[in-house]
Amino acid sequence: MSQTLSSIFQSMNIAVFHREDRDNFKLLTKKPSWLASFCDPALDVGSTVKLGVLFPFLECFIYEAEDVWESGANTPHRSGPWIEFSTHGEELPLEATAIWLDDKPLLVVQDLGQEYYNEVVRLQGFRDQSLNQEELQAEIDNKTKEIRSREEEIAMKLLSAAGHRDHETAAHVRRIGLYAEVMAKALNWDSSIAADIRIAAPMHDIGKIGIPDNVLLKPGKLTEAEFEIMKRHAEIGADMLRGTSIPLLKMASEIALCHHERWDGSGYPRGLKGKDIPESARITTIVDVYDALIHKRIYKDASSEQTALKMMQQMVGKHFDPDLFAVFIANLPKMQNIKESYSEPTATQ
Amino acid sequence: MVQKKICLLGAFAVGKTSLVLRYVDSIFTDKYHTTVGVKIDKKQLTVDEQDVTLMIWDLAGQDDLTRLRTSYLRGAAGYIVVADGTRPFSLETAVNMYKEAREFTGDVPFVVAINKVDLQNSDKWQVDEEQLTLLQEQGADIVYTSAKEGEQVEEIFQLLTAKMLVSDTNSNSHPTKTVDKS
Repeated sequence: MSQTLSSIFQSMNIAVFHREDRDNFKLLTKKPSWLASFCDPALDVGSTVKLGVLFPFLECFIYEAEDVWESGANTPHRSGPWIEFSTHGEELPLEATAIWLDDKPLLVVQDLGQEYYNEVVRLQGFRDQSLNQEELQAEIDNKTKEIRSREEEIAMKLLSAAGHRDHETAAHVRRIGLYAEVMAKALNWDSSIAADIRIAAPMHDIGKIGIPDNVLLKPGKLTEAEFEIMKRHAEIGADMLRGTSIPLLKMASEIALCHHERWDGSGYPRGLKGKDIPESARITTIVDVYDALIHKRIYKDASSEQTALKMMQQMVGKHFDPDLFAVFIANLPKMQNIKESYSEPTATQ
Repeated sequence: MVQKKICLLGAFAVGKTSLVLRYVDSIFTDKYHTTVGVKIDKKQLTVDEQDVTLMIWDLAGQDDLTRLRTSYLRGAAGYIVVADGTRPFSLETAVNMYKEAREFTGDVPFVVAINKVDLQNSDKWQVDEEQLTLLQEQGADIVYTSAKEGEQVEEIFQLLTAKMLVSDTNSNSHPTKTVDKS
């Protein structure tokens, strides 16, 4: 190395090493002051040193450096900074650069000094700002959760009051939403939309408010004319929830309208078929049937889980979307947990 | 004396450096000082009558400007995957970093630190229990730590070291580096 170059490196407190072999490096420049803290006092120009032992960090970087030296490319490759502590406890930010120069594999190690601390200040500013933003976002998320939880509670109370007329229970209303949310999550819906269906799905029968008592509460089978009246609950419900810009209510409206549509097109009110039926409604159809089958009602006994699933299996492709039914089955343990956690009050039995 | 390299992985400002400072120097500072690059500390401990020197690599936390440089992980015998119990996204970042690390070094023992547990009873505490359960089902040990109070700090390093020693006994895939006591 020329004397001029050597003087320049010395003035910049840089140590240049020549790679002798995988472990050994020969010092080509005068020993910079920072290096003295870490090595044998006798180390000087021409001495060989095991850099990986001296600086464990370099043990890793040398693998990257080998690629540079093997390729013979003269683009320098930097290690990024690492911190060493001198024998006096002084912090030393160092960086190594691998370079192929004049057909020689060289490793340049320098004390970054102020350059490092400037970078620390820059990154600190950026990260402080990110932390503030995160904190604000967390506060917004918490408030949103609080609002949503309040909305949900109001919706459930109102639905439970509406359902009281035809003996629907609060627990049933709650379960339908939770089952639907499990399905939505399993289908990788966005978490906020999955939370929407938790509130929207229980509203599917809200239109029953508009069905006269003599039809809604009639014990036994409905006549054809009465059934036509009963079928109107889907459109009544959709009308009640329509005309809003709130996404949750829009979803509730489409569920109310389409939860009696069938995969094979034999449902009502519009006879929609397959994927023309909104996914939210296809989900609600499955979970509503499941919950109805496994719970006791005034007009029927509860079916066993096994019987219910057998019956539902026969409805796949006719009543239910086959893909969604497969998702439902895959998530059955979660559905069963919900069933256990939100059981019917004993008084209704 | 057995020597083991371990790396701390996690998002920025979760307390990786604070855990190391608390463990190695019994120091804690409330002010956040970002880590740039890599800091390596040493600590000797004894686990199951085995003397071990830990080479603790404190890697800069991940954010949009700093990504994990996997070559730093070469030779790692274990990881402490650190998340901040008050920052929900930090667990996801930590787990993703661990997955990236595992691709580079293979399956090595790891423990998950949910740090800042001193804030557990505050409104700020937001740990996704479902995510933690999933991690536990995958065999992760989860330790609630506080670098500030010193809670479970010593224990998490002990636990990881014990896991590394067991892993050594069970397999030769991550051979231990033995150094002279002198």
